[in-house]
Amino acid sequence: MSTEGPDGEEPDSGIPQAGGVILRLLLGTQLRRLREAAGVTPERAGYEIRASRSKISRMETGHVGFKTRDINDLLSLYGTTDEQVRARLLAMAQQASRPDWWSQYGDILPGWFESYLGLESVSSTIRTFELQFVHGLFQTQEYARAVTRLGHRAAPLSEIERRVVLRMRRQELLTRAAAPRIWSVMDEAVLRRPFGGPAVMRAQLHHLLDAAALPHVTLQVVPFASGGHAAASGAFTVLRFDEPDLPDVVYIEQLTGAVYLDQRPDVEHYLEVADQLGGEALTPAASKSFIEQVAKET
Amino acid sequence: MTSDEAWETDGDPGSAGPPEFDTSVAHQARMYDYLLGGKDNYAADRAQTEAALKVYPEWAFTARANRAFLGRAVRYLAAGAGIRQFLDIGTGIPTAGNTHQVAQAIVPESRVVYVDYDPIVLAHARALLTSSDAGATEYIDSDLRDTSTILEQAGRLLDFSKPVAVTLVAILHAIPDADDPHAIVARLMDAVPKGSYLALSHLGREFLPPETLRQMQDLSRGNIQQEFAYRSRDEVAIFFAGLDLVEPGIVPLQDWRPEPEAANPGKSAMWCAVGRKP
Repeated sequence: MSTEGPDGEEPDSGIPQAGGVILRLLLGTQLRRLREAAGVTPERAGYEIRASRSKISRMETGHVGFKTRDINDLLSLYGTTDEQVRARLLAMAQQASRPDWWSQYGDILPGWFESYLGLESVSSTIRTFELQFVHGLFQTQEYARAVTRLGHRAAPLSEIERRVVLRMRRQELLTRAAAPRIWSVMDEAVLRRPFGGPAVMRAQLHHLLDAAALPHVTLQVVPFASGGHAAASGAFTVLRFDEPDLPDVVYIEQLTGAVYLDQRPDVEHYLEVADQLGGEALTPAASKSFIEQVAKET
Repeated sequence: MTSDEAWETDGDPGSAGPPEFDTSVAHQARMYDYLLGGKDNYAADRAQTEAALKVYPEWAFTARANRAFLGRAVRYLAAGAGIRQFLDIGTGIPTAGNTHQVAQAIVPESRVVYVDYDPIVLAHARALLTSSDAGATEYIDSDLRDTSTILEQAGRLLDFSKPVAVTLVAILHAIPDADDPHAIVARLMDAVPKGSYLALSHLGREFLPPETLRQMQDLSRGNIQQEFAYRSRDEVAIFFAGLDLVEPGIVPLQDWRPEPEAANPGKSAMWCAVGRKP
């Protein structure tokens, strides 16, 4: 596991300076490995901390926070006596419980999306496939407003605006130091469906071209004329983390929630589709010309 | 920058044809990714690599030593030999310390052309191996055997009146004798001017006991999309015919100009060398 923060600086504790979700995931993964190595069942582990088997499962998958006492008890049960390892895991648990910047939007953020923001903010590589909408990280304010209205017809204007502000805030990821690498493949439909009208869409297409000019952003378009895979798959995102121990996470958004996949066979199925799409789409250079052309036609 | 203008996906993939994108069969580039700790590999790649490691545990060190040799060779070429143009054939899946990153860290204006015959591997390269502003990278979808395509397309970015470093790192052993790898290398080196360089690494026949070699070949036959030809030091030397070998000549990966502080607790199974066209 890497001991460097995402900005390359070594924090005092040797703990990655990451958001709460990823730290919980990281910690959970390690706890599961220690438990399995010690041959301890989830039931037994749950009993040790006066909790259920499913609590252990939720801890190990990063879905709940950790109490210092629980971590201490579990590590003792697993026979982890190395003081440095214990201190490191405990520090991680403490850091994981600090609030993230988006916590102030808790009233409009469903939990499933909060998890996504946490993961996205600490990814080293983000691969996406989009079918209908420009990816949230690349949306202009006007485009974001148009698609937000669509999804929240009954919401008051003030709420729409807060949602748009949240999305814009999230885009700070693109320009921060040590920004993740983003490899985004989109269907031609994304470029053609004029949310907010032609003027908004034209500005959006130029904004996409600006994003594509960033050294860590790669955009590729799958034109209508090609590609069975684009049609066979729905939109999805694959998040990758620098830590060698952490698996890739596939995120699939649905109308009322989201699915996260981190089991290897599932993830690899999506990686395979992502690979196919990357090979099938126009090259990044040809994609820029294509977007320019669509902007002219819009 | 790149010079793809058309709205088509990649054109003619080369004479031998690209490999099928088939994740159920191991692939050299993805096995290598796995050995280097990458995450762009599939179950078949990992199973095949683990099986090979059982027969020949030094395989893991060989992969790391090969990557380290690439880094040292490119650093030597950029810093010591004044090379500003690179033709990197057999790019593989991007990992840390790719050719343009090493070269541009020393000379930001360095230009690098990446060549791979696998369109999926090349898609990764296009997406992830992007140049610094000062320099440039270009990508060619071609089989090594199709040298006319490589040279013609590389001419879009590289100036063949000035020295070029041709890097063939861990790729020539995927070319069987029937396809005359020595003639392929000769065609490439004929096309570059004097003062150009050739850097290569190659699986060596001498490093594995005969029984281990046979087991490795049995293991890969039909299970990997590429078959490997292990060649002797003498056969590797023929690639450098007409070139002046840079010190220390043809040596195992870990012995080519090792970093002073580097500890080399391993033995690799590859020969490597760098030569200059006089």
